Amino acid sequence: MSPLLMAALATLAIPAGMTLLFGVVPMLRRTGKPAAILSILAATTVLGIAGWLFATWLGNPTESLQIATYWLTMGGQPLGQVGVHLDGISVSMLLVVATVAWCVQLFSLGYLSDEPPNGLGRYFTYQSLFLFSMNLLVLAPDLMQLFIGWELVGATSYLLIGFWYPKPAAAKAAIKAFVVTKFADSGLILGLMVLAVASGGFAWDAPITPATAEIVAGLLFVAVMGKSAQFPLHIWLPDAMQGPTPVSALLHAATMVAAGVYLIVRADPIFSAAVHVREFMTYLGAFTALFAAIIATVQTDIKKVLAYSTCSQLGYMISGLGAGSLLGGYFHLTTHAFFKALLFLAAGAVIHAVHSNEFTDMGGLFKKLKFVAIAFIFGSLSLAGVPGLAGFYSKDLILEAVHESGNHFALFALLLTAGLTAFYMTRTVVKTFLGQMSHSAEHAHGPGPSMTLPLLVLLVPTIALGWAAGPFATLFGKPYEFHMGLVGYTAIALGLGGIALGYLVYGLGALAFLPRLFKPVATLANSSVMDELWQSVYEIGGQTPSRAAAWTDRYIVDGLMNFIGWLTIVLGQQLRKLQTGDVQDYLYAVFGAAALLALFGGWR
Amino acid sequence: MTAILLIASALFCAGVFGLLTQKHAIGVMIAIEVMINAANLIFVGLGQHKGAAVGQSFALFTIAIAVAEVVVGLAIVLLLYRSRGDVQVDEAREMRQ
Repeated sequence: MSPLLMAALATLAIPAGMTLLFGVVPMLRRTGKPAAILSILAATTVLGIAGWLFATWLGNPTESLQIATYWLTMGGQPLGQVGVHLDGISVSMLLVVATVAWCVQLFSLGYLSDEPPNGLGRYFTYQSLFLFSMNLLVLAPDLMQLFIGWELVGATSYLLIGFWYPKPAAAKAAIKAFVVTKFADSGLILGLMVLAVASGGFAWDAPITPATAEIVAGLLFVAVMGKSAQFPLHIWLPDAMQGPTPVSALLHAATMVAAGVYLIVRADPIFSAAVHVREFMTYLGAFTALFAAIIATVQTDIKKVLAYSTCSQLGYMISGLGAGSLLGGYFHLTTHAFFKALLFLAAGAVIHAVHSNEFTDMGGLFKKLKFVAIAFIFGSLSLAGVPGLAGFYSKDLILEAVHESGNHFALFALLLTAGLTAFYMTRTVVKTFLGQMSHSAEHAHGPGPSMTLPLLVLLVPTIALGWAAGPFATLFGKPYEFHMGLVGYTAIALGLGGIALGYLVYGLGALAFLPRLFKPVATLANSSVMDELWQSVYEIGGQTPSRAAAWTDRYIVDGLMNFIGWLTIVLGQQLRKLQTGDVQDYLYAVFGAAALLALFGGWR
Repeated sequence: MTAILLIASALFCAGVFGLLTQKHAIGVMIAIEVMINAANLIFVGLGQHKGAAVGQSFALFTIAIAVAEVVVGLAIVLLLYRSRGDVQVDEAREMRQ
């Protein structure tokens, strides 16, 4: 076996081993710190392996290695595989996951320093489990293993959102996230079934007709909508912010929610055949991007802003993939993973300093948390699409692709989103780091080294990854040349305009009518309308058939059983009367029977 | 031979009639004895008809067993009397429970 494959298997085995170790040695888990350090060491090893694999693939981008064994058969025909598949896409995704996971685990050590040892150990057990599950998903040789990893990250997401489960809001959010994504995942299961029946396997490039591809892609996309928080299944993501901030950075911004995008990239042979589904993706992604960006402009909780921003950027990716730009969607996934993780971790450092998520408890923190502020500002600029930073290049690829696809609605929505993104990120920066210092901000304390180092590491790709778009494109075997079109200039203008406007409104207090203009739309979008909508969908679509089933069970199925019971009792009571207790009555029966036997049996 | 079989059958039927109609426990037991003796009559009669002693020896066995049966039966009658104060078989319906 090639050492590359062995290394890839190690990226699965090491975190899985850690989870198992913490699981079976409660001593280790309960002392907290040793578990944390072991988990971080494991993540470091995985990061090293991922870096080595990525470096190898940069030298030889088109190579593809696989080791897999069939474990699932249907009617004697091999169906599902388990193993690792290495190519440009999986190796680069592995590096993204490993980098962000390493940063987050290290950051958590500082962020959760007030946590009791027991909780800390539990946290790192989940973190190791997540790293294993995500690697399993990323390295999947077919859709079946991806599905297994997909469900495992979903379960880890549930565990980590509900990490502070004594808090009712956290417990509720965890259940909501789980239920909503599981509801969506039924699409994935159905899609897999259709695919298995149509092609006899779960391969990425299964040979299927375009009509089947539409069905499979449509079903898979339902699961993507759940996992990647697309309208109208986005409702769980803002609530998921109840989890610890590093968790939000890793699962609900950088990696897990991007799994949906990764699925589309992986299953491209299926999706590229499904023209209608792709068109729907372009529209829905663009709509989600705009919708979430509008909501983000009125949030008062720094994590909620970032959560809606994640929704919005995932919409960007989906829209780009729908328009046929595999590279654009995937490259934006990568850059977004880094700068959004950076933003979340910086926000985590702020929250750690002021012990609150609300803007009202922040303000003027630039003086107290200089490095954090600089990191956050660079992340915001990258997200806003300022030329030269990573987010600009990936966003531009998507915008160009949508422009070429000729979908004017999507292009308009995405451009508007670009402006709004710059606007709300400026608002966030101003409200957090500039302006009047709040009471709790005055007592803010700076982060320790374990929190600063991850920010520093993530700052590098946030700034510089865009310059590596060329080598990145070779992983897809595609040429990349940077060129600025009208769309690109418009996006820059809107981005810079958004920043300027944001600073004017929130920094200088000018144009005060603008926020008021936004308010009605945003309040409506922000209200519980969506939740209530789903509630009624659940009541009509879920409870009505359930009630009917309950009625059938109670009165038809149980009724039949009760009738049989009643019949037995009545018959028994009638038969009982034969039992007189008089010996001579029984003897009548005996002799009567003997006489009958003699008559019909003996004297035949 | 036919005469013996007819007499034995008549005797057996009389025993059955007594068994089914007698209300007194002793009467029931007498009816049973009558039935046993009907069987004995067939044993002896057939033995003579065939010229074999086996019928007679079986009749002797049956008489011995009938004695044992009478002992058990009288014991039951005695216990019935002790527990109920009378020996009317149609009154003793405890088997119903």
